[in-house]
Amino acid sequence: MNPLMAILAQSKPSFWLPAPVSNFAGPVDWDFYFVYWVSIFFLVLITALLAIFMWKYRAPKGAHAQSHNDHHLLLEVVWTGIPLILSLMMFWYGYRGYVAMQTPPADGISIVAEAQKWAWNFSYASNGANVPGMSDDFNAVRAKVRSGEFTSEQAAAEEDKILEKAGLHVPMGVPIDITVMAADVLHSFYIPAFRVKKDCVPGRTGKLWFIANEAGIYDLYCAEYCGQGHSQMHTKVVVHETVEEYEKWLEIAGSYDETLPFDENGKIVWKRRGCISCHSIDGTKKVGPSWKGMFGSMRKFTSIGTAGELIADEAYIEDSIRFPMNRVADGYPPQMPVVKLTDKEILWVTEYIKSLGQNSGATENPRKEN
Amino acid sequence: MSQPEMDAQSDAEIASEPHVVAPEEHSGPSYLTVTKTIASWAFTLDHKRIGVMYLIGVLFMFLLGGVFALLLRTELFSPLALITPLFADTAEAQADLYNKWFTTHGAIMVFLVIIPGVPAALGNFVLPLLLGAKDVAFPRLNLGSFYLWVIGAIFFIYVLFSGGLDTGWTFYTPYSAESGTAVIPALVGVFILGFSSIFTGLNFIVTIHKMRPRGMTWFKMPLFLWATYSTAVMQVLATPVLGITLLLLILERTLGIGIFDPRNGGDPVLFQHFFWFYSHPAVYIMIVPPMGIVSELIAVHSHKRIFGYTYIAFSSVAIAIFSFLVWGHHMFISGQSTTMNIIFSGITFSVGIPSAIKVFNWIATMYKGAISLNTSMLYGLSFIFLFTIGGLTGLFCAVLSIDTHIHDTYFVVAHFHYVMMGSGLIAFIGGLHHWWPKMTGKMFSEFLGRIACGLVFIGFNLTFIPQFVMGSLGMPRRYYTYADKFEIYHQLSTVGSYIMAAGFFLTAYYLIQSLASGKKAPRNPWGGNSLEWHTTSPPPLLNFHDVPDATDPYDFEHLEYNPSTGNYDTQELARASE
Repeated sequence: MNPLMAILAQSKPSFWLPAPVSNFAGPVDWDFYFVYWVSIFFLVLITALLAIFMWKYRAPKGAHAQSHNDHHLLLEVVWTGIPLILSLMMFWYGYRGYVAMQTPPADGISIVAEAQKWAWNFSYASNGANVPGMSDDFNAVRAKVRSGEFTSEQAAAEEDKILEKAGLHVPMGVPIDITVMAADVLHSFYIPAFRVKKDCVPGRTGKLWFIANEAGIYDLYCAEYCGQGHSQMHTKVVVHETVEEYEKWLEIAGSYDETLPFDENGKIVWKRRGCISCHSIDGTKKVGPSWKGMFGSMRKFTSIGTAGELIADEAYIEDSIRFPMNRVADGYPPQMPVVKLTDKEILWVTEYIKSLGQNSGATENPRKEN
Repeated sequence: MSQPEMDAQSDAEIASEPHVVAPEEHSGPSYLTVTKTIASWAFTLDHKRIGVMYLIGVLFMFLLGGVFALLLRTELFSPLALITPLFADTAEAQADLYNKWFTTHGAIMVFLVIIPGVPAALGNFVLPLLLGAKDVAFPRLNLGSFYLWVIGAIFFIYVLFSGGLDTGWTFYTPYSAESGTAVIPALVGVFILGFSSIFTGLNFIVTIHKMRPRGMTWFKMPLFLWATYSTAVMQVLATPVLGITLLLLILERTLGIGIFDPRNGGDPVLFQHFFWFYSHPAVYIMIVPPMGIVSELIAVHSHKRIFGYTYIAFSSVAIAIFSFLVWGHHMFISGQSTTMNIIFSGITFSVGIPSAIKVFNWIATMYKGAISLNTSMLYGLSFIFLFTIGGLTGLFCAVLSIDTHIHDTYFVVAHFHYVMMGSGLIAFIGGLHHWWPKMTGKMFSEFLGRIACGLVFIGFNLTFIPQFVMGSLGMPRRYYTYADKFEIYHQLSTVGSYIMAAGFFLTAYYLIQSLASGKKAPRNPWGGNSLEWHTTSPPPLLNFHDVPDATDPYDFEHLEYNPSTGNYDTQELARASE
């Protein structure tokens, strides 16, 4: 490791870059600073020449130029050749770093990150656990910090509590293989601290991998514009010290508490699986219809171009979840993604919707506080 | 030809009867005064009037796009909802509103301001003058291009009043296939604007091929013509692809044909390929003509022969060619194959070399020159500085490993604003000042001009340098609200945008003031020697009283400044007046 990399490995955020905490952060930052110092050199050179020439050769109106030289082959060769060599070097460094990013080792821990409007969902291959990103809960904490309701310690404690059953969790020092997917529109999986990013493209899967170098909690953002909730589609990455600690977390995180009543689990599904982004429970019209008072009501919809109406019973709700494009409720855009809920989750959610029949339910977290 | 036009022409022919007075005292009607009815403007076939109408339209759209920029910068001053609640009640509607603002800002600035700005507005006015020609090759087609631009602009205004557009200016699928906003009118608008751009390009290609004056071989053309020519080729070859892509998207939305939407079996990445196949050359459509302007500004205001003429000329052509081969660098993290990413990254660096060549040649032009630090020159110098930053930060984006981190962050936002605004628009404003006396026959206030240029320069850097920092720290773009740690950068950026706006409003003030009370402009106020400086300011309807021969556009030695008229006279004239 060269001395510059050693300095960078101390994982403190610099003026330009967040703390480098993955196996790629060191090399990417080295490339960054190589281009940076080359750029600074040329910027200083060009600015100095501009400043000196504009000062030294400023002249009153009507003055004539002191020189008529209008070409110099050697100069042209020099200022074509040097940028050419430097840019070939840059290309080479970028190529080398990028190929490493595209070549995951075979023994990584496999996790699927699925993006939908406007939520993340992580499935862990080792036990099939399904853990949500819980963006709305993190947004609520953020709101309370801004309104002064929470101190930063309280916020951290609250986030820890959310992260018990949410977020992307990985162990330190082990290759992590992420498969990214999207349920509706383009999203992008971005962890600045790890220097990794990949677009989530509906109808395709994407791959990325990394090794986290330091335990801690880091930001995960959506980097590709996806509409109304784009800027709030963030969650956290938790890096555990050891694989054991990670596995212990995984065992409890993915499970529902099956001793709870159905409708209470249904409410957890509503938050966990991202229904909350588009369906309110207090009658507010969001991207999709509110669930308040929906059960048993007459629904008007368009089914493949023809209008129809049906009573919202269990079958109607199950069908709408499994095949959202079959019947698109009138007055709402045809935007609902296919969220692959388990049979139990569908059952619970249906019970939850039933329970909202007459009640007004709890108020929601505002998307961005006023 | 319409009746007023015929009258105008015959008037001009009478006016261009052989004359005996010195050119300065020639007092025939200019193109501005030869006819005065509204119809004589609306149906004019004169490239200068069409250029002026384009200019008014483009500047109006610049104001509109700028207002949206200020709105969204103001909103981003705080991560809390700041001004969106003034216009929308619910938090959801407020987020939607922000998304419409940045989309509208981007779409107006790209399609209605920067793409037509230099070629259609300034190019239309200057190009035939530089050639010593009476007009472009196809004056009716030229007027047609302008009206297509107007119709495209009307579609955009309609979009504004029919609920806005929230897809981003890039119209990425499948979001644009399902967005409930006015996507189809916007697509139709861009489609029509595309034809305006194609016709202008076609017109310029033919004009430059067929209408050069006696003695003007290709390598004796002013460099602005090389730049315009390279651009015109790109406009003609790339824009149809955009048109077809948008048409396919319209079909997808109206008929449900699965082309780009995976729900119907389409491929969203295909849309990105199609879109950038046009829109990457479009970046050079936006930047190559400004480079041409800067070649003129630096040479004329340094009163020194341009350095490395052939290198600058060929670098424009090289950029035009390479620009067709690098579109994939917008898609490094889109899921495009690794091999393609590597190839596109490699070719992308090839665009950097001709850009570097231009910058060094401009600087060498200044060496031992006689530099007038007037407003136009200050804009030229600003361009070189800002373009250097824009180009160098482009290197970060071209390096595959770094781009993985900074893609879709504010780093990229800052980078392309340095190129498209800091370079493209700054050169446009510089060119506007350079040719303002020729267009209007009036001199503007140099004092206010320099102050405004300083404000724009300082404001611009303050707006976008913090965006580089927050971008590389991980702030994604197109965010309505953001983490508290980015607040300080956003605040600096917003303050910068206000300073820049003050500079532009000051510019608008003194330019309008110059129309009313500016000093009368002489024929050649800066000491240029390309053909436009050999006719009166403003020129007569048919541009020249006598058909001129080609001059050496970068030979300034025989020009002598005459303090009493403010004109640069040829030596013969200077001797005659002694």
